[in-house]
Amino acid sequence: MTRNQIELLVLYQDVDLMLQEAAGEEKTMGFGTEGLEQLQKARADIAKNIDGRFLRTYQRLHTKFKRPIVPVQNDVCLGCFAKLPTSYGEKGRRDQGLYTCEECGRILYWVD
Amino acid sequence: MKITELGKYLKKEHFLPDLKGGSKTAVMEALVQPLVDGGLVKGKSLVLETLSKRETLGSTGIGRGVAVPHCRTMAVSDVHIVVGISKGGVDFAAIDKKTVHLFFLIVAPPVEGNALYLPLLGKIVEMVRDTKLRQAMVGAGDFATFIKIFQGG
Repeated sequence: MTRNQIELLVLYQDVDLMLQEAAGEEKTMGFGTEGLEQLQKARADIAKNIDGRFLRTYQRLHTKFKRPIVPVQNDVCLGCFAKLPTSYGEKGRRDQGLYTCEECGRILYWVD
Repeated sequence: MKITELGKYLKKEHFLPDLKGGSKTAVMEALVQPLVDGGLVKGKSLVLETLSKRETLGSTGIGRGVAVPHCRTMAVSDVHIVVGISKGGVDFAAIDKKTVHLFFLIVAPPVEGNALYLPLLGKIVEMVRDTKLRQAMVGAGDFATFIKIFQGG
């Protein structure tokens, strides 16, 4: 079965954020970060399974935004707080495809 | 962060006094389940996969019988804590190689308005370093006892 591409992309971004926080606050708290290289490899492995179109969009947006994928709640893009068309949400939830915010351009992930 | 503030994130339905599961994977699944049951996560597998990736970085078994599995994930919209107590102990590949009896699962969205995730994580790590407090928490058989010990700390 093909993995849900948007979920894989979300995982990719979550790991990205994990890598950023690992070197800072978490290390100070005493959590081990000896697997940093392994996690970087795991991130690369996730990328291998992501459709090229999804990944290219993510990478392009990453030059502009720290977090290119943002949640959508109550039809609002939580990246720029623009109200999205209701029909957009219906399609987005159903297809789990690559949808971007018409205002800010970030990739949308419906969480409700 | 004050303990009373932290206590607000502890809920009866997210307290597992007899955590089941003999492996790291099984325990993670059991800890995530109350959040799934409460409709608080979108995609159990996404949360479990993100938690598993966090373990790749280094075990969250911080020693002295405690583990604090945690991650930020877009599968949740708020910060949640699940507490689990394993009577028999679980091999969680902890840094001191000891079995783990006390678990604090913490999940948070990537962006939070009130930036609670890291202070919560830090406070829990600080609290469980206290031997008496830690032992009392492990011995708590119900939520009322646990929260009393927790708030008293």
